[in-house]
Amino acid sequence: MFSAMIKKELLLVFRDKHALMALFVLPAVFILIMSVAMRDQFSSKNLEFSLFVKDLDKTSMSQEIIKLITNDKHLVQIKEKGDAQFFIVIPENYEQNSNEILKLNVQKSLKENEIEVFKSLLSEHILKARFHYISQSIELYSGKASKILANLEISSDKLYKVKYKNSKKLPNATQQSVPAWIVFGMFFIIIPMSTIYINERKQNTLMRLNSMNVSVFAMTFTKSIPYFLINQVQVWIMIGVGVFLVPLFDTPALAINGSVLAILEIATGLSLAAIGISTLIAVSASSSEQATTIGGILNLLLGAVGGVMVPKFIMPESMQTIAEYSPMAWGLDGFLDIFLSGANTQDVFIDFIKLFVFGLVCLGISMIILQIRIKKGL
Amino acid sequence: MIKISNVTKTYGAKKALDNLSLEIKEGSIFGLLGVNGAGKTTLLSILNALVEMDSGEVEIFGHSLSKEKTKIKSLSSIIPQHLAFYENLSVGENLDFFAKIQKASQEDYDKAVSVNALKELMKQKASTLSGGQKRRLNIAIGLLNNPKVIYFDEPTVGIDPKSRNEILDSIKNYKNFGITVVYTSHYMNEIEKICDEVAIISEGKLVEQNTLENLFLSKDNKSVNIEVVYSNILKELNLKLLDETNIEVPKEQLCELLATLEEKNIMIKKIDYGSTNLEKYFLKRTGVEDV
Repeated sequence: MFSAMIKKELLLVFRDKHALMALFVLPAVFILIMSVAMRDQFSSKNLEFSLFVKDLDKTSMSQEIIKLITNDKHLVQIKEKGDAQFFIVIPENYEQNSNEILKLNVQKSLKENEIEVFKSLLSEHILKARFHYISQSIELYSGKASKILANLEISSDKLYKVKYKNSKKLPNATQQSVPAWIVFGMFFIIIPMSTIYINERKQNTLMRLNSMNVSVFAMTFTKSIPYFLINQVQVWIMIGVGVFLVPLFDTPALAINGSVLAILEIATGLSLAAIGISTLIAVSASSSEQATTIGGILNLLLGAVGGVMVPKFIMPESMQTIAEYSPMAWGLDGFLDIFLSGANTQDVFIDFIKLFVFGLVCLGISMIILQIRIKKGL
Repeated sequence: MIKISNVTKTYGAKKALDNLSLEIKEGSIFGLLGVNGAGKTTLLSILNALVEMDSGEVEIFGHSLSKEKTKIKSLSSIIPQHLAFYENLSVGENLDFFAKIQKASQEDYDKAVSVNALKELMKQKASTLSGGQKRRLNIAIGLLNNPKVIYFDEPTVGIDPKSRNEILDSIKNYKNFGITVVYTSHYMNEIEKICDEVAIISEGKLVEQNTLENLFLSKDNKSVNIEVVYSNILKELNLKLLDETNIEVPKEQLCELLATLEEKNIMIKKIDYGSTNLEKYFLKRTGVEDV
């Protein structure tokens, strides 16, 4: 009986071309668009400032500063001072007179935090140039002290090691988009699933199945299997888009640092959660229009709160707390841990359990509602 | 034997069935008559263990409905008024699916296909079938489990007369397979054509249960209706005229009247022995016009 019911569901799902488009093509297109569109926002490539340097000192120290600026990948010297974001003037006697300071003209459009980042980069180079100058000056008196000064590292990378809280690194555009739209796409099964449920109720096939001794558990279970398979296929297609298609658009490819088993674990939990909530809406709604509307709104809300639309790490803390209650956030966190931090099955177990329990509870409530509706004559 | 004793079912404040008792003989074709909302569909739902009754007792072929629902479901089949199959599957896929979930034998499968003339349509998508073909598929699905009793809930609604007659003929044949048929319809002529016995339900209560033969022989139904072409002479003949062209005559005076009409050259359009009588009888017993 189970195999016949599963086969029937598969036939119905795969004959619904619009549903298949929504389940496979839409998330793939989203991944592509969002990865490419947000490439620069997430990339460190955009940490780039244009500057024009006017050297009135023309000493070895000023030349050293210019050399260090030239070698910095974040700073680009341009020939027209009018186009530069920063205009630096190295004053006369800068090397000789330590009270002389650089003059920094800043373009009006720059934000405060951008200016601070630039100042930090520039300070690093000035200090380095000064140390270099002092090192050379004292070489004759103390070779040892000169050597120490020459080798003194003041770059932030050498001074301290950054450790991310809970080992969570920030994702790039692809690392954010792929899992986000995988999660969103998986919950899209709300639409076709509720349509099939409501059609069965409207067309009396549910009543007929009930008259044929088919239990509510069998109805729910067999409807879940095809969507579980669809969800798993979705995950790997979307990952494929991230790995192979996105790089064709000059955007970083998705790197899977964690284990494949962990991906399967989170995909299973997410699928169960998506099937659970879809079934709950399908058995509660009285028309497919109602189910589509409620399902669509709920999907968008869970996505918005759960970090699909707006990454969780840029949300204020209060919103991040709210996000903890969205199953989409549990799935997204799991995937991000796998892709960014190389998480294994144990690392994402908590996320899996949350999704698993959520899905089971939803399915349990759905079966109770369905049973009541059938007893009341559908 | 299907024995329904004192069954009551209430939906909110409305009593759908009110202490209803009925007996349906095994192997018979039993007609269930009643206006919309009389309680026919509720009764069928209860008999199929789809809806629970509030009180009463139902025994189907010796099995208690309250204790042996699963067994009763396996012995029964309901053909719902609305088409209950998957429009996006082909005829064959629908039949295969419903056959497998009921573990139907190949013999029963073949019988359901042949009785409903679906062999040529097996690969056709259900949504593309004609109204009559859809009705036949709806019925075929109900035959797959080789039921001992089939409940038809107005199975000929919205189909052409040819398809309707084909369906009625096939239902009459179920008697040959030993199947008990419980048939509800709004069409009196259908009931007259196929049923052995009839129950009239009104407002959830049984008004009358009888064989068609006894209904027609009852004192209220001993007359025949004759429709004639209009003639001025009619009024002079001292006949019971229902209107300008319809005459009602006691059965024993029928031959005499036919001779008179022939003598006066009055053309006869229709002689109605039964259908109008059942309809009239039904309207009289239920006290309504909307059938």
